[in-house]
Parts: sequence; C-alpha cells; structure tokens
Amino acid sequence: MPAPVPTSRWKALLLRHETALLAVVVIEWLCFNAIGPRFGSLDNTFDILRHSVEIGLLALVMTPIILTGGIDLSVGSLLGLCAILFGKLWRDAGLSPLAAGGVTLAIGALAGGLNAGLITVLRLPPLIVTLGTYSLFRGLAEAITRGADTFTNFPASFLFLGQERWLGLPTQAWLFGAVAAGVWLLVHRTTFGRSFRAIGFSPEGARYAGLPVPRRLALVYVLAGVVAALAAVIYTARLGQAKADAATGYELFAITAVVLGGTSIFGGVGTVHGTLLGVAAIAVLNNGLVHARQPREVAGMLTGALLLLALSGGVAPKLWAAWRARSRPSPPPPPTSPTS
Amino acid sequence: MKKLLPLFLTAALLLAGCGKSPEASAGAAQASGGAKKITVALLPKSKGNAYFISCKAGAEKAAKALGVDLLFDGPTDTDPAKQNEIVENWITLGVDVIAAACDNKEGISTALRKAQSKGIKVITYDADAIPDARSFFVNQATPEGIGYGLMDEAARLLNGEGEFAIILATLTAGNQQEWLKHIKARQAEKYPKMTLVATRPCDDLKDKAQSEATALMGANANLKLIMNICSPAVPGAAEAVKQAGKTGKVKVIGLGLPSENRRYVKEGVTDSVILWKTEDLGALTVEAAVALVKGTLKAGDKSFKSSAMGEFEIKGDNLLLGKPFVFNKDNIDQFNF
Repeated sequence: MPAPVPTSRWKALLLRHETALLAVVVIEWLCFNAIGPRFGSLDNTFDILRHSVEIGLLALVMTPIILTGGIDLSVGSLLGLCAILFGKLWRDAGLSPLAAGGVTLAIGALAGGLNAGLITVLRLPPLIVTLGTYSLFRGLAEAITRGADTFTNFPASFLFLGQERWLGLPTQAWLFGAVAAGVWLLVHRTTFGRSFRAIGFSPEGARYAGLPVPRRLALVYVLAGVVAALAAVIYTARLGQAKADAATGYELFAITAVVLGGTSIFGGVGTVHGTLLGVAAIAVLNNGLVHARQPREVAGMLTGALLLLALSGGVAPKLWAAWRARSRPSPPPPPTSPTS
Repeated sequence: MKKLLPLFLTAALLLAGCGKSPEASAGAAQASGGAKKITVALLPKSKGNAYFISCKAGAEKAAKALGVDLLFDGPTDTDPAKQNEIVENWITLGVDVIAAACDNKEGISTALRKAQSKGIKVITYDADAIPDARSFFVNQATPEGIGYGLMDEAARLLNGEGEFAIILATLTAGNQQEWLKHIKARQAEKYPKMTLVATRPCDDLKDKAQSEATALMGANANLKLIMNICSPAVPGAAEAVKQAGKTGKVKVIGLGLPSENRRYVKEGVTDSVILWKTEDLGALTVEAAVALVKGTLKAGDKSFKSSAMGEFEIKGDNLLLGKPFVFNKDNIDQFNF
C-alpha cells in the first residue's frame, strides 16, 4: 500500500520544482527588464542564448549521466582538447572546417568511449575516472599547444556558426535546439530513458531486471563526448579562436545547471526540461546583472544561493511531512488497524 | 485575476523604471550641457590584478573629472571567452566607448569589431588588439622608452662607468630582444665607459634569476650593477646580492612592480624599479576614450591634449604615455601595485 502514495507525491514534487524554477526565471527576467533598458531587447536575448549554448550542451548530456547516478567531470577539459584539435586539423592538416568538425566529433566519441570503457569494463567509479580524464584531456591540450599556440583566422563561413544568424536565430541555437530535442526524446520518450533512471535507482536491481547496464552506461558517456566536441566547434566559432584553456570550469557550471534543474545527484530522478530551466536561470542571472550594472562576482554568489535554496526547497516538503507525522503520531492507524 | 497578475507586475515595474529616468536624464544634462552622459567601459585583462586595480583608480579619477560614467569589469577566472562575453554584453548595453586591455588578441578582436560596427568607439590600452579592431592604442611604453630609461638610470647610478650585467626572461622572447637592442644602442651612443659583461636568461623565474645573479657576481669581480629586464628577476637578483653581502657594492635595478620590490628598495639592495605609472595609464585611457566619442581625438592627430596631465604624443595610431617612471626609496611608498 505505501508504494502508490510516494510516487504520486514525487510526481507532484517534481512538478512543483520545475514550476518554481520557471517562476524564478520569469521573475529574474521581469526584474532585469525593469532595471536595464536594453535587457529585454531581441539582441540581448540572442546574446544570452549564444553565451549559454556551450554550457547548455554540456548540461543537456550531463543530465542522463547524473540520472544513472554517474558524473562526468571531464567534459570541460574535453571541450578544450577538441577545440585545439579542431584548430590543428583545420590549420595544420588543411581540412575544411566541415571535415575538421566531423573528425572532431569522432575524437569526442573516442574520448567519451575511454570514460565509458574505464567505467563499465573496469567498474571504476565515474567520479574517479572522469577526474583522471579531466586532467588528462586538459593536459593533452596544453601539451599539444605547449600552452601558447593559438588557432585563429578562421574563414568567415565557419565563424557564421558562432557569430551570425540563420533564419532569424543565432546559428548555433538551431544545433542546440536539435540536441535538446534529441536528448529530451531519449530520456523521456524511449526505454533508454527509463533504463537510465532504473540504473540510477539501483544498478544491481537494473541488472537483475535484465537491463544491459554496461551498454546503457557506455551510451551516455559516449554521447557526452560527442556533444562536448560539438560544443568545442561552436565555442571556437563564437570566439574565433581556439586555445588550450578553452572552457575552463564549464563542467561545474553544467553540473550546477543540472542539479538546479531538479536532477538528484544520486541518480534516478530528474528531467531534461528541468536542466534547460536551470541553464536559463543561471544565464539570465549572469547577463541581467551586467544590465543592472552590478559587478560580475555577484553572479557567482547568487547562483550559489539559488542552488542551495533550490536544494533545500526540494527537501522542505519531506521534512514538513516527517514533522507532521511525528507531531500527530496516533490519528492515521485506526482505519487499517490490525486489532480489528 | 491570476492571469492579470503578471501584467500588473510588469506595469508596476515599468512605471518604476520610468519614474527613475527623468532624474537620470536631468543629471546627465547638468553634466554635459544637454547631451546624454557618456559611458566609458573599461576592460582589464583580469579583474583582481593589482596592476589593473591601480589603472582603475586613475580611470575613476579621470571619469569623475570629466563627468562621465565608468564601467569596469573583467574576467575573474581564466576562461578566455569571458572578455568576449563582457564586450558583447556592453554592446547590447549600449555603452559609448570600450577601452580594452586584450588578453587574447585575435579572439577579442572579433567582439571589438562587432562593437565598432554598432557605432561604439573602441580603443585599447596596455595590450593591443588587431589594429583594425580599434581606433587607437594607448601605449604605456615603447621599447625605446624602456631601453633608454633603464640604461640612463644605470648610468646615473654608476656615474657613467663600470661593468654591468643583464638578466632577462629568455633569449628568444620578442619584447626582451627589442628592449635589449635599445639598451645596447643607448650604451654605445652615450656611455662608452660602461661595459656589458654578460646577458643571462632566467626563464622568468625568481629562483633561477637568483642563482644567475650569484654566478654573475662570482665570475665578474668588478661587476657594479645588475639590470633585470623581466619582473621576477628584480627581487631574485636583489636576494642574491643581499645574501652575498654585497649590498651597495653591486647595485640592482630593473623592470618590475613596486610592490614586489618594496622590501629590497627600502633595505637599499635595489636602487630603483622602472615602470610606467599605472594610474596615469588608466586616466589617459579614459580621457582619450571620451575625446574619441566627442570627436576631439581623431585619426591622423599628432598629439593629444589631456585636461589633467598635459600633452601626449601620438605616433601613428599609438597614443604614447611617455617616459617610464623611476620608483626609488623616496617615492615607492606612494604606490600600492
């Protein structure tokens, strides 16, 4: 009998978390719009979009990983490595940006495969594996360029991807939209998505239920590698340069957005649209503070406060229920009392 | 009712916004005779760096004197995308002029060009962008200015005769070679009785500079002065001289920050540290930025008359801050960068 009650309550809780987050985004938007005269302009909206695409992509693919109870700390470093490899393929190997981009995605898949292999074959904890590759990928990027080589002077046709508009939207927004739709469908409309959650709740249980746990886990880490490589190409096009320190610290921004979006860090619970709202809440805050002429450091503080608030807000109903149960211990039993 | 609530909120906020604007425009009108108050956006390479904080102090003074708004923002971490994002945010914010110290020359130039295409004026200071991405570069020191400044100071301390040695970062670095060339030229031209006995690299490391300085003193008994042309070498050489007990017998000068050398300067080990006044750099940058917006500074000008600091030379599209400044025992306490 206790089973159906918690699930519906969980559902309600989730719903409430995302609605609350949506309200936060809307309130942020209204506040900044009132303070900054140009905040609400289309140009600025597109700026927010352009500036959050790379972190947004990483957060999108981080969601299924965290759903399985895993984590990937290496995505930011991989973005840096892919950015300079893309630059090298284009400048030194003479590939067209399109071909170089294709090869970069393949490299991203390989790098994700390395994480996946270590996690599924050697059964090492994801935190440790990706902490290792976090250093490895960044180190490789620095070694290849000796920390100094910078790739630049890309053709305008390539920079179009990061700096111009296509069909009315920033070009990269289309790619972001496609990846977002793909990940959303994967997580919420396929059996894969359900298996990620099952693994997150209990890897052993999932295995006993006949799920191919290693293959499913490998999928999410390879996906993260490919999308990190895509983010690297977009990042390079947006900046017009690739350097070994590209995207330093992005993995933590991505994880923050996912957790803010309501995904449990222990796995099993979470949504892709929650993550998108998490990304939006942080991006609007970062941009809006500039328009409110507040110092940039405030953004970090407020993001942290928002995250802690969201987390404690998520736990509050449970505590409330527990407190109520304790303060009124007697009333519920009578209907199903065993003595009758 | 529920649906109307956001509308009310928006309306209230908008009204609040409108309520503020008349005051603001009145203030602006007072400041610059009816025109909109100019907003100058100053971008440092990194926000927490003492060097740029001191630039900011000068910039703030100048902004106050000129009655303009100053925005100062820069990266607080190492992400190279941050400078671009800040510039792009300023573009939508609608500032009048952006003054940038460029961390990634190529990368930021894309954003600066975009600003120019939106009618925002752009100048650079401290570290230049690609020339077509800005109107002027406020150049804090020409290689000639640095080379001559160092050599003249060395000659002054030694009364124009004696042996000296140079410690530099690496033998291959472009700026180091450039400075070395001018030091040697100045010595050959004006101080024939002085001899450069050795030039040693320290890889921009204080420890290595210290051991190089010890070795130099050991190998050259008549060494009178060590000139350091990279900043870690100045305290490094000073430490070597102090430990060798040759304070005063072997003089130390160099290019560096006053804060790193204050202790040695006060102890009398280091005689002088040469650098530009960073506050003046910030102030001149703001003055030039405002002049650019007002149209009083334009391409082809040969000089720029600042309102607080006199006249500055313009070479091509470089606005020159002028001769470097000598920090010594008497004045070093006035500077905190």
